Amino acid sequence: MRVALLLLSVPLFAAGAVPAAPKPLSFRLDVMPVFFRAGCNQGGCHGAAAGKDGFHLSLFGYDPAGDYYRLTRQIVGRRIDLAVPEQSLLLLKATGMVPHSGGRRFQPDSEYYRTLLRWIREGAQDDSAGVPTVTGISLVPDKLVFSGKARRQALQVVASYSDGTTRSVNNLALYLTNNKATADIDGQGAVTAGKPGDTFVFARFAKYTIGAEVIVLPPGRFKWPKLAGNNYIDGLVWSKLQKLRILPSPPASDEQFLRRAYIDIIGLLPTPEEYRRFMRDRDPQKRAKLVDALLDRDEFNDLWAARWSEWLKVRSDSNSAFGTDRKAAAAYYDWIRDQMRRRTPLDAFVKAQIAGTGSNLQNPPVNLYTMLPQGQYDPKEVAQDVAQVFTGMRIQCAQCHNHPFDRWTQEDYYGFVSFFTGVKRKMASEAREFWIYDDPNAPPAKHLLDGHPVPATFLGGARADSPGKDPRIALAEWLTSPDNPWFRQNMANRIWAQFFSRGIVDPVDDVRISNPPSNRELLEELGRRLAAYGFDMRRLIRDICTSRVYQLSSVPNDSNRDDASQFSHQRLRRLRADVMLDALAEVTATPSVFSAMPRGMRAVELYEGGFRASYFLKTFGSAPRDSVNTSEERFEPTLAQALHMINGTTIDQKLARSTVVAAMLQSGRKPSDIIDDLFIRALARKPSETEMKKMMELLGGKPAEKQGYDDVLWALVNSTEFEFNH
Amino acid sequence: MAHRECTGPIYPTSFGRRSFIQVGILGGMGLTLADLLRAGEVRSAGGPPRQSLGKARSVIQIVLPGGIASQESWDPKPEAPIEYRGPFGVVKTKIPGVVFSENLARTAQVADKITVVRSVTGRIPDHAQATYQMFTGYLPTPAIVHPSIGAVVSHEFGPRNNLPAYVAVPGVPPAAGTGYLSSRYGAFEVGADPGQRNFRVRDIAMAKGMTEDRFDRRRNAREALEDHFRRAEANPAELDAMGEFYQQAYKLITSPEARKAFSLDGEPESVSKLYGDYPRHSIGRQLLLARRLVEAGVRLVTVMYGGWDHHVRIKEGVSEGLPAFDHAFAGLIADLDRRGLLDSTLVMVTSEFGRTPKVNENAGRDHWARVYSQVLAGGGITRGQIYGATTATATEPDRDPVTVEDFLATVYKQLGINSEDRILAPGNRPIDIVRDGHPVDGLCSA
Repeated sequence: MRVALLLLSVPLFAAGAVPAAPKPLSFRLDVMPVFFRAGCNQGGCHGAAAGKDGFHLSLFGYDPAGDYYRLTRQIVGRRIDLAVPEQSLLLLKATGMVPHSGGRRFQPDSEYYRTLLRWIREGAQDDSAGVPTVTGISLVPDKLVFSGKARRQALQVVASYSDGTTRSVNNLALYLTNNKATADIDGQGAVTAGKPGDTFVFARFAKYTIGAEVIVLPPGRFKWPKLAGNNYIDGLVWSKLQKLRILPSPPASDEQFLRRAYIDIIGLLPTPEEYRRFMRDRDPQKRAKLVDALLDRDEFNDLWAARWSEWLKVRSDSNSAFGTDRKAAAAYYDWIRDQMRRRTPLDAFVKAQIAGTGSNLQNPPVNLYTMLPQGQYDPKEVAQDVAQVFTGMRIQCAQCHNHPFDRWTQEDYYGFVSFFTGVKRKMASEAREFWIYDDPNAPPAKHLLDGHPVPATFLGGARADSPGKDPRIALAEWLTSPDNPWFRQNMANRIWAQFFSRGIVDPVDDVRISNPPSNRELLEELGRRLAAYGFDMRRLIRDICTSRVYQLSSVPNDSNRDDASQFSHQRLRRLRADVMLDALAEVTATPSVFSAMPRGMRAVELYEGGFRASYFLKTFGSAPRDSVNTSEERFEPTLAQALHMINGTTIDQKLARSTVVAAMLQSGRKPSDIIDDLFIRALARKPSETEMKKMMELLGGKPAEKQGYDDVLWALVNSTEFEFNH
Repeated sequence: MAHRECTGPIYPTSFGRRSFIQVGILGGMGLTLADLLRAGEVRSAGGPPRQSLGKARSVIQIVLPGGIASQESWDPKPEAPIEYRGPFGVVKTKIPGVVFSENLARTAQVADKITVVRSVTGRIPDHAQATYQMFTGYLPTPAIVHPSIGAVVSHEFGPRNNLPAYVAVPGVPPAAGTGYLSSRYGAFEVGADPGQRNFRVRDIAMAKGMTEDRFDRRRNAREALEDHFRRAEANPAELDAMGEFYQQAYKLITSPEARKAFSLDGEPESVSKLYGDYPRHSIGRQLLLARRLVEAGVRLVTVMYGGWDHHVRIKEGVSEGLPAFDHAFAGLIADLDRRGLLDSTLVMVTSEFGRTPKVNENAGRDHWARVYSQVLAGGGITRGQIYGATTATATEPDRDPVTVEDFLATVYKQLGINSEDRILAPGNRPIDIVRDGHPVDGLCSA
């Protein structure tokens, strides 16, 4: 370890055009990076909002002027001793010479110590006004592939400055890895390969984070077979799998594909009749035909209306005083579903909501401004939610400090908030009706640090130059422009996740530099296609569902068993709570009953979602819609679920009311025929011989009585196969 | 600003919730040499349960979410200036020379049976992060999600007497999940509020008209389907987890003794009275149910009560919720002791942090993690002790600071679990049950 460090350590001023002549050290360029590197200004230490043990530094150094003040002027003579620099408390604490809660951060013979000491000896000067700032960092190389014997490779971290100079900052950067077992990275930026796999390592310096992909190949020989592809998706996935030496699983059977496509595209199971028709069809294009047919079904719209209503927190509760009531929630939901039915392109769909003006009952999309806040209006909260839902990015960290693991600064944050500071909600004459409009003269948001106003600014981009105009119009245009990669990729990723229960960036609403896509080329291409299709999501879904990748079996092979992110096989995916309840209703032909809702309404159509509507839906993980986080929806099994499936009223009542079996008995069908039919209804397959034997035993010599068949149905809906898409 | 609004992303949910269907997401975090050279046993996740040999056989974990003020409860500062002291007076306890806030008058009478740790030191005054730390012993990291103490206890000891090992009354927050352990070790949330008159835990009794014979036939039929799917899909992880829950459910349904533990019907009026009866507060009934459950064999019961995030008007907030807690907690300790259960049942009262020394301009107190109080009782914990102390204004620990990690390590030790043991997380990555936690000998008498 020690040897490696020496070999790799890079002189402070090695690279670039910074003059070698001894010029005084700079507080911002030389001293603050030491605090960053040594961890002094981390959130757990002096970077905490209240500082630590009486000394506060801004988190990761977002406030240099404040840090300089606190270090040199807050308690004059305490932290810096200009007379005897070595006795400065700063140095004694950092090296652990006096008791320090944070322990020893570095040695007295280190580069870091020498930098601080020299700066103090030079008078602990503040920087002059024109001091250059860091404008970016780069990693060389930005992609590493380990194969064979080489197990270690050094990365170079180079910072660029506003005066055009560059500098190697390997000594001052911080490093992290997304998977230590595949690629570890040490304090100097040297990467050590571990277990085969694909991951990212990152370097952080100043306010920048940058990543490099690391692939560690498995040992041994590998032969990539010739694999056919149905479309570009297959090409992009195969190419990544080939790089990683992972073989995809074989294609799924027709039965598996049929059930999978029904559940994923329309949230229903195929009926026995649909099953038989599909299985009889000899057309080699029958899978693509099925996808097209399902995309035309109205239930497709219901499923996506439910998804969007989750992401947009559509619910009412009791906040009528703020416009968040039933009428508004129902109007918003109906509008969303109507847009799905009309095939409104996603860009227009989003624009209508963001730039909406008018009555929240007459022009429902403006309910974006009643549902996201769920109460008192706060432009910050709305800005955060809008960023998260439509770009997948979480900017909220930057409210109080620059985002530690992403690109966002406080300037970006408050600039984005300023798009929403003029939104007003005013009570209209109709009960529970609110006017939503923008006051173009409203002041922009103020920066937390010094209170300077930050005019409306696109994320990471230009100012929205719209004095006197509603800035949300410019925002809606910028956001949904086909040229904006964040929107198109986030939409594509959210769509993709519907068919794999996992995003290419995962979770789909945590897009950041340190959470990169598992297949960047694939995500970029899906985003480009979606924009090129005029944001028609059906066309993208068609590409996805007709790809071979979507149609792979869920049975893993030796090479892809551990793969969870490269789509080398399908996985067992738990049904959504509402889809499961609807499937139960379908299998038993017994619609569920929800209070204050018309008969025959499916769970997926509940405009406020299932969490508050039914014990079943809540227990099986429906999203409460308290936040826009996709993680609100839960999929893990629990004891309460098992008890409810075994014993609960949901299944008990459906079996009691169901006339499916009675009708078949009446029409004189054979017991084995009836059992076949029940299997097809629940599992989209026929029973095996063993299964059929077991089920016949259940009838207990009374094949004309309903009870035995109820037991068959009970077993079917309690099976793992029923509760999962596979 | 941030602390006033208490918003921000809730870390552990960001990827933990789907962990069941994504077994293997954490895969590939291998052993390093340093890991191998460290002390402590490495236990495989999902391995056989161990025998419970600790002094404490079960735990009642009482959580007061939001961050209760120690100044208004366990560690009043009657000598401090009014802006630090707060709005309440004090009451003498059974421990000579020790006072509690007047809100804990009944608990003061059982102070000789409990240990108050007045020097707990946390790190981050943020609800989500500190709650995660309170339940798991770790601060959240994006790399891995840690299991809560309930999940670890459930994993280490397994179920007993056909009852789930880990029960929550009525539920647990997302931070108290199973982390890298299978969801089978998660809390069984009773869901319903035991404070309600017709309280009944749902679905644990067989449906009307169902015979045991028919129930068995159904189970057999289901097994046939599981066998088929196992051969066809070869995905044991999901099938095993589902199977585990069905086994647990069958046991619970078919055991009348087990089901009785979930009902309050058999409790005499006098016992209910001991725990207090407050129309708008369920804590009495929650703790009574918790006692029944540990008595019947549940390993760990989590009881969540109230919301203590009193940034404004702390006087009203505390007066509203604390008397019912005082009554119920004092009743629980007395009841356990009377039944001879206190020595084998460890009771803990925790909150994710404390509150600022000074009362703020809204007559409330803000978040304060530097020092606050938590309580331990039973299970070998010293009776009648005040451990540690805070400075005159409750700003810093004055002596014997106890970290959140130490606190949990002590609880684990009393259960007979060495918190330095490591559990093999997915990808053969050994993770300490608690890292850098040292059991505090001064808290335990046995």
